[in-house]
Amino acid sequence: MTINHMSSTVIQNKIDPVTLQVIGGALKTIAKEMAHVMYRMAYSSLIRESEDLGAGVFDIFGNTLAEADSTPMQLGCLPGYIRGFQEKLGDNQHPDDIIWNNDPYAGASHSPDVALCQPIFYKGELVGYAGATAHHLDMGGAQPGLMVDVPDVYAEGLILNGVKLYDKGVRNETLIEVIRQNVRTPNEVIGDLEAQVAACRLGVKRFIELMDKYGKNTVLSACEELMNYSERMMRKEIAKIPDGVYEAESWLDNDGRHLDIPLKVHVKLTKQGEELEVDVSKSSDQVSTAFNVAYSGALCVSVHSVLRSIFLDTFMTEEDVPANEGAFRPIKITARKGSIFNPIKPAALFSRANQVNTVADLIIKALAPIIPNQTCAGSSANIQFASYAGLDENNEYWVYIEVNEGSYGGRPGKDGMDAVDFSSWNTMNNPIEDLDMHVPLVCEQYELREDTGGAGKWRGGLGIVRWNRFLTDGFMTMEGDKHTVRPWGYNGGLPGTSANLIKNPDRTAEELPSKLNGYRFQAGESVQILVPSSGGYGDPLERPAEQVFEDILDEIVSVETAYRDYGVVISDMELDIRATEIRREEMRSTRGDLPVYTQ
Amino acid sequence: MVRIGVDVGGTFTDLILVDELTNQIHVHKVPSTLEDQSIGVINGIQKLCENANVPMTDIDYVLHGTTVATNITIERNGAVVGMLTTKNYRDILHIARHKKTENFSIQQDLPWQANPLVLRRNRIPITEKLQAPDGRVKVPMNEEEVRQAVERLKKSEVDIIVVSFLFSFLNDEHEQRAKEIVKEMWPEVQCFTSSEIAPQMREYERFSTAAMNAYVAPRVSRYLSHLSSALDEAGVKGDLHIMQSSGGMATSEMVTEKPVTLLKSGPSGAVLATAWWGELEGVPNLISVDIGGTSADISVIPNNTPKIINPRDAEVNGYPVLVPMIDVEVIGAGGGSIAYIDAGGAFRVGPKSAGAHPGPACYGQGGENPCVTDANVILGRLDPEQFLGGDLQLHSELSFKAVEEKLCPKLNMSAEEAALGILKIINNFMALSIRAKSVSKGIDPREFALFAAGGAGPLHSVDLAETIGCNLVIVPNYPGISAATGLLVGDIKYDFIKSNISRLDNITDETIDSMNADLQELEEQAYTQLIKDGIKPDDILIERIAECRYAGQGFELRASIPEGILTDQSIETIRQRFDESHEEEYGHHFPNNVVELITLRIVAIGKTPSLTLPKLESGNRINPEAAFMYERETVYEVNGEIKRFSTPRYDRSKLLAHDLIQGPAIIVQRDTTTSIPPHWQATVSDNGTLFVASKVTQGGAAESVEKYFSKVR
Repeated sequence: MTINHMSSTVIQNKIDPVTLQVIGGALKTIAKEMAHVMYRMAYSSLIRESEDLGAGVFDIFGNTLAEADSTPMQLGCLPGYIRGFQEKLGDNQHPDDIIWNNDPYAGASHSPDVALCQPIFYKGELVGYAGATAHHLDMGGAQPGLMVDVPDVYAEGLILNGVKLYDKGVRNETLIEVIRQNVRTPNEVIGDLEAQVAACRLGVKRFIELMDKYGKNTVLSACEELMNYSERMMRKEIAKIPDGVYEAESWLDNDGRHLDIPLKVHVKLTKQGEELEVDVSKSSDQVSTAFNVAYSGALCVSVHSVLRSIFLDTFMTEEDVPANEGAFRPIKITARKGSIFNPIKPAALFSRANQVNTVADLIIKALAPIIPNQTCAGSSANIQFASYAGLDENNEYWVYIEVNEGSYGGRPGKDGMDAVDFSSWNTMNNPIEDLDMHVPLVCEQYELREDTGGAGKWRGGLGIVRWNRFLTDGFMTMEGDKHTVRPWGYNGGLPGTSANLIKNPDRTAEELPSKLNGYRFQAGESVQILVPSSGGYGDPLERPAEQVFEDILDEIVSVETAYRDYGVVISDMELDIRATEIRREEMRSTRGDLPVYTQ
Repeated sequence: MVRIGVDVGGTFTDLILVDELTNQIHVHKVPSTLEDQSIGVINGIQKLCENANVPMTDIDYVLHGTTVATNITIERNGAVVGMLTTKNYRDILHIARHKKTENFSIQQDLPWQANPLVLRRNRIPITEKLQAPDGRVKVPMNEEEVRQAVERLKKSEVDIIVVSFLFSFLNDEHEQRAKEIVKEMWPEVQCFTSSEIAPQMREYERFSTAAMNAYVAPRVSRYLSHLSSALDEAGVKGDLHIMQSSGGMATSEMVTEKPVTLLKSGPSGAVLATAWWGELEGVPNLISVDIGGTSADISVIPNNTPKIINPRDAEVNGYPVLVPMIDVEVIGAGGGSIAYIDAGGAFRVGPKSAGAHPGPACYGQGGENPCVTDANVILGRLDPEQFLGGDLQLHSELSFKAVEEKLCPKLNMSAEEAALGILKIINNFMALSIRAKSVSKGIDPREFALFAAGGAGPLHSVDLAETIGCNLVIVPNYPGISAATGLLVGDIKYDFIKSNISRLDNITDETIDSMNADLQELEEQAYTQLIKDGIKPDDILIERIAECRYAGQGFELRASIPEGILTDQSIETIRQRFDESHEEEYGHHFPNNVVELITLRIVAIGKTPSLTLPKLESGNRINPEAAFMYERETVYEVNGEIKRFSTPRYDRSKLLAHDLIQGPAIIVQRDTTTSIPPHWQATVSDNGTLFVASKVTQGGAAESVEKYFSKVR
């Protein structure tokens, strides 16, 4: 299956450069304002603190005109949601409708991510959409919060496509009641849905104001021109790498039920001229748990996001290239039907973060030798996505969902980033002071994982350790991975450290697998989450000894690691330059050629 | 009453003196002394008092805007900070909110990791823990660990210590006790707690604010104490007030305790001046562009109201800072910005600046690098003998030499072409920043007028206006000292806050009592401070604010608190006002949901006298002979062609109201030079403000333009 971008009507209307930039800026601001309304108004901490939400404005074909700068995973998928409900509804769309879609087989990223969209009518004509997505705490289904091991997509909970939450401005009270009676946290979910509605209403209002001011045709041709610009920029960058086929592969721990069967992920990039095809068809077959990936809502979003980061890195590119669909036109994404990246209904596909992050990491890996200055060594390539739930004194559910971040591999010229989400995730953590205030769970540790970054001329970034304790009995579901595979080192750099999950580290310290499904904890029990630290970039012996010593002073590299991996000798907490030179010379003479990748 | 406004920029120190008895205004400009800004300040005040014939002992107020704190964050030469923090949470400052600055970037730098405010080795974990939701002690503080930590920090010679414990916004007992121990063991070292600096929930933002406060504190307090003693020595008895980032003034004692409120002190003055001038001249929408020697400060001011960034969104160079701040952006572009050819052969200008020493090549102080000012000299837009009223003779031959040696051969251009190139690049850089503040927020700059401030503002503003599509430029009477002028129109303003988490449903008498007690405490603090600052009780305004949210939400909105002692009725009013502001902000409210109070805030304002400008006589002349000085060749680019124009110079002090000047023309005054290119024209208002507009007037600001030009057409 491949994605076909519907081509927009080209409105030939020469637009002056100032107006073009003004409209581009206005669209971006509309998207930002929409997101702002959502995280300010929202109830669940996943939306208001972690900002696991998306918002934007779209043309009538669902092409992104502008998106907010919340997490990319929630943004790139909105076009898919829109196309999904368009197929269902056809012309049955009216002013002030609010249309629901959370069907992962019709564009959704996964079922808890509900998109609400409002068609924008200008003088009686459909001109676009304002849309907002949010990861809801609960949609009913087999268990609270997240799900890893459920038999099919129906077990994930309430899934609707093309159903109207507001019909011509009138709230669908029946649907609200269905939600109220079917989800475990109705107050949060309904409050958060209203925040999405408020965001859509604002987006529509602002878009109409823009058309009033500049005229419909000017706005639409500006939109088209902005997409063409992004496309040209992407093509220009792709063209710079040699034509050819680039491949990489890795393994996921398991599907959450068959714990001893690792799952292959294979990426094949074919570059020709100004275009690039990403084919993941040689990856594992679909699995019988929820550890599958929605093709358009999750795989494509992740691939686009990492390619943008490589080819149009906003830190390296002087020009401001708008984040719209134009940049994706030269990219084709292929996934075999029946594979883990394109499952056949009714396979469940709730848990998709680790698979698509692995694809992103493998794209970087395949391209690293070709464009070393635009890539990095192996990263955490995971998300340790945790949900905690329990019952309060009135036997009502509380649910808390936590995105445990990762880290980035060492980079050309600098160490990897510590403690951030990898690639297409970019959420925020939940302040501990807010968390402890709202749910019967306390965070007892949140720190860097000392002495775990892969050694290299540029060190791999450090992951974190997070330790949470249940104050009442509860469940935990963990959508994690990377317990068995370490982030790869590049060009002589050493691999990083894999993830781990430990129950009751202060008592019996039991190691748990990377995926938990409604696992029960008793009051007073605790869990420690250790996320991967990333791989090193370049020869560790080339890292200046002084820099290694700085890391020792900061207690993020131990004296032993400095000696073993970097050949740096410390005596009495002083750097011994001479002994270091001798040690490094000895290491150089006994080792062989430096490998391109170290796993 | 005699008031002096002093604004210290990267290159010049600008001063204005207002004598309210005689209704006279005097201005002056001296080179900044960056090694110790106070030297330049005192020199300037002395000279200004001489010029105005006012003895220094008569000065009632010295109102001061300073970039000391800002420069520390830019140059990253702040204090070595030691931090005591809760054990198991050592890396809150390093992890931050775990969100990357850029969504699509592998190579980005995260400021808090690339340039940490506190190195990990100096963040020392202490066993202690408070508990939500009420802040009761869960694990008592291990005082022995505190002592060991202080020993260790003392040994590693940190400059300052900050105590940042979890949940201290609920209960500051542990933070205060740790501070006592620090003080007892090491009395000389300054120590702040996070709850003193920002008593608000969210550990990263609070810790970061406290760390930033510590990072800038030693240098700021050293500077302010130098300045105070230098003022004392010079016989100045009046009070020293400092501009804060919020646009409100504070006493120097207040800011020494909380220097984090000064991070935008410098740029705030010009923003206040812009809003004030806009109101005076009836031009509501302005973009303030204050171009000095080192930097340009840019702010978009709709409806004459400077925008205050929500403290939750306020950040400085990527570090969150929970204090109120005016929305103004500072970029590295000014008269002293150095032009060079980079390693890849690209022609670049700034952000490196030659500053006041050695300054641009034309200063003749040994500077060899061509700067933006040199470009203006080469093009004949700055007359060497007129700079700073002739106080600083420029050497045009040195400008040519610098450009011809360093740029021309590599660019294969003539000196004039290279000079025009320098201006284009620097103007484009400023235009991009203006776009980021306007266009990228959907504000159309074509509906705004540019307010040309700073010594170099009026030289560049018209070109800049052309670049961004504005067709009106406003040049105030003393553009070179507009930031200093802004200091004279600002009131004293303090925020006092206290965390008070209470549900507003089924409210008990006990809760109302606690709210009343907290409000009373805050108000007393506010009154005491303002009275101490010399404000008369009649001039004190107190605004009481309840920051609330629906229970379960994460973000607060403000509801004003009704006057008087709180009762059940006033709680109901707060609730209604909160619902209303939720409706206004988000277009929705939840009438059945519980409202929760999070923070009580007092904004205390001490009214200070404003400014009156003397009116000008009407002249109604076209290109007035009486103001004409001489003609000289000046280079402009017209329709892509470089042309020389014999360009008249006019003396601004001789222009009268409603005079009209047609471009090309140069208007000279002591503190600045205004360049009016071909196809532009200028007129003067009753207040002496210069309006420069494109001859082709259309678009949003056309109305203002018409108003001023119709008189002479």
